[in-house]
Amino acid sequence: MSAVGRTLRALPTMMKIGVSEAIAYRAEMLVWVLSTTMPFINMALWSAVSAYTPVTTAQGRTYGSADFVTYFLCAFIVRQIVSSWASWEINWEVRSGALSMRLLRPMHPIVVYGSGNLAALPMRLLVTFPVVVLLFITGAFAKLPNTASLWALWLLSMFGGWLVTFFINIAIGSLSLFMDSSIKVMDVWLAGFFVFSGYSFPLAIAPSWLSTVAHYMPYRYQFGLPLEMMTGAHDLASALPLLATQWGWVTATGVLAVALWTFGVRRFQAFGG
Amino acid sequence: MGRYVTLLRMQLRASALLAAQYRWDFLIDGALSLFWAATAVIPLFVVYTEGRASIPGWSFDEAMMVVGWFILVQGVLEGAINPGLAAVVDHIRKGTLDFVLLKPADAQFLVSTSRFQLWRVASLLTALTIFGVVFNRLGRAPALLDIGLSVLLMWVAVLTLYSMWILIISAAFYVVKIDNLNYLFTSIFDAGRWPISVFKGGLRLLFTFVVPLALMTTFPAEALLGRMGSSTLAISVSAALVFATASRWVWRKSLRHYTSASS
Amino acid sequence: MISVKGLKKHYQVKQRPPGLAAALTALFSPQTKTVKAVDGIDFDIEPGARVGFLGPNGAGKTTTLKVLSGLLYQSDGSVTVDGHVPQRRDAAFLKKIMLVMGQKQQLLWDLPPSETFELNRAIYEVPRPAFDQRLAELTELLELGDLVNKPTRTLSLGERMKCELVAALVHGPRVLFMDEPTIGLDVSMQVVMRDFIRRYNEKYGATLILTSHYMDDVAALCPRVIVIDKGQLSYDGSLEALAKKVRPEKRVTFRWSSAVDPEVLSRFGRVVSSQAGEAVFQLPQASVKDAVGKVLATLPVADLTVENPPLEEVMSELFSRSRAAQKPVEAAS
Repeated sequence: MSAVGRTLRALPTMMKIGVSEAIAYRAEMLVWVLSTTMPFINMALWSAVSAYTPVTTAQGRTYGSADFVTYFLCAFIVRQIVSSWASWEINWEVRSGALSMRLLRPMHPIVVYGSGNLAALPMRLLVTFPVVVLLFITGAFAKLPNTASLWALWLLSMFGGWLVTFFINIAIGSLSLFMDSSIKVMDVWLAGFFVFSGYSFPLAIAPSWLSTVAHYMPYRYQFGLPLEMMTGAHDLASALPLLATQWGWVTATGVLAVALWTFGVRRFQAFGG
Repeated sequence: MGRYVTLLRMQLRASALLAAQYRWDFLIDGALSLFWAATAVIPLFVVYTEGRASIPGWSFDEAMMVVGWFILVQGVLEGAINPGLAAVVDHIRKGTLDFVLLKPADAQFLVSTSRFQLWRVASLLTALTIFGVVFNRLGRAPALLDIGLSVLLMWVAVLTLYSMWILIISAAFYVVKIDNLNYLFTSIFDAGRWPISVFKGGLRLLFTFVVPLALMTTFPAEALLGRMGSSTLAISVSAALVFATASRWVWRKSLRHYTSASS
Repeated sequence: MISVKGLKKHYQVKQRPPGLAAALTALFSPQTKTVKAVDGIDFDIEPGARVGFLGPNGAGKTTTLKVLSGLLYQSDGSVTVDGHVPQRRDAAFLKKIMLVMGQKQQLLWDLPPSETFELNRAIYEVPRPAFDQRLAELTELLELGDLVNKPTRTLSLGERMKCELVAALVHGPRVLFMDEPTIGLDVSMQVVMRDFIRRYNEKYGATLILTSHYMDDVAALCPRVIVIDKGQLSYDGSLEALAKKVRPEKRVTFRWSSAVDPEVLSRFGRVVSSQAGEAVFQLPQASVKDAVGKVLATLPVADLTVENPPLEEVMSELFSRSRAAQKPVEAAS
């Protein structure tokens, strides 16, 4: 298909410009990085809690201070990479009318948003570098998986997590084509994220009702699963079914995103926003 | 002075008119703030789950009190302080700050009072409910003096928070494209839901002196529980005054920079 | 009323070159350069005068207005407005002036304009009776009627601009700076705004400085114009004299009573256009009489008119001349 070919040919240029943009917006990025330092706060909190009283999972495993350090350092890294801001972008563009310009381009806007978000990755990785060094210094590295296959699966789970995050962003962003602004919907989504994704605490130590609820929500597959795989919580046998579920979520959120976007744009074109 | 009271009344009136115009938003936002309050409590449940006696010096109920103060102060932050912050960033980006600077009234006052989100009153009600539940579970009522002290500390908290906000706004004069400042502020503020004794070393210093979250949530909670020392009170009040003075100075400096450097 | 001496405004801008490599380089060693937005201008303005600032984009007009209203501090030179130093921005000064920007608005977007008026009344401490009276006058002059009670976002651009003017005038400023007040408005609305501005000036004796891209605004409103170009003052005087200086030619249009061979026309002077039954000449002031006499004597003239060249053309010629003289350097924005 020629549309796919055209998109593929344009991608390198789009990525290059995207990286330049990410460099130009470094001040914003710094602010964003500073606003994702919550894992360090939680690290301090849980280290203190575990020093005072033992924290055990439902399976009877004990989480020590060092475990929490590993968990939250990795949480910071995963959060930097598995992230998307397309929802805010779409909201802004609908409001300012810039969306019309996007619709004029001979390339699917979802691809353009996606490549823009991915292009920020090099700068993001730069930010995670000191934390990787910290992983070495604290000796937390020894707790990470030690087989190539687990690391390969980790990469797959990272990509899956990013896709879920990105599709959710597109889906919620598309809602702004139906209502004034969907920023509040995103705020609600994020409130759930903080509780059910494993961002604020490992789901393994949560009360059982909470981990059950989390199991049926996409948050864990967006963020928690890659993090669990990175911290070595799963072996191959337990990881594979979870990965299958994750890619199920990728498909579901992908379909939802494309559908909402398509209907939204049709509405936008009918009513002129 | 009387003039500024009139101005504040007018700005509040405009916000009320706006809120009335978007009645549905009012309801939705009210419901949302309850939802957020609920999600603010969940991490506490996780920490104290299965009867862990988790935070040194703080029982579950006492820690709940801190969360109550966190919700209250967060309500003030998002209802009265952040909207104004958004307004300034907006003004700077669109270049309409000029109109504010042309007015013969204090610019800091004008921008600070330009927008309120009145539905955030729901957070205050939530916080009061939490206080009630906590004292009910503790089986006692707060002493009158302690209530008075905690109200005083609430004002100290609001003044400190406001001053910090002015400091951050001032940064927007130098680095214009900062739209997500309120996300930053909210996320740092998030640490305030825990009693300060959770944090050790550097973080403890950071949250007591640099970003004085202790002053905003832990100290008022201690006051209401009737276990705050007089030295803590003195430190809180003087810290708030220092912050207020410093922020005023920085604000004037930044405004001066804005008018001498921008095009 | 207004006195400006040796006014200069220079500032540093960061350059951000295109390309990935260049962006990376700029990250570590940002390049800056000095832009001379205003580079030494002098003028005085009498109380009650209406003065137009002319100049191409980026010439320094807006910068000058901003310095005059105290929003920008000059790098050098002295400025006084009715005895005040603008940059001190004291309340007494601010109550006397107002800046109207056609591209920016101060009205509260989601509320009716009347709310903004009321807020400005409180900020400027306008006594209630004076406020009510002035508001009534302005509302009538601008034929606003009930518009002031509809939310701003529902108003058309023209209606909004009228309300912007009212918001700017409720405190009765003695000095009015207007930056492109009619931009984006349709022709009839421009005429309404112009009439209003002139009447306000005449009624209250307010001093007015105006910048506009529409020459008609300036021609209708400003007996005196100041041309600013590349940050310097290149002309100060009447608009008419400026037009003569730039284009000392007249435009003569002949209508023919019978067909005329277009070939012969060029004998009488420069032909701007020639159609069936009509021809337009552009002739030097001094030779108009002579040339017209010759045409009348030799060709079948039914009618003739003598005009000055259109102002827009005069201006574009003035600015293109200055651009040609200018080496290709940056324009301040």
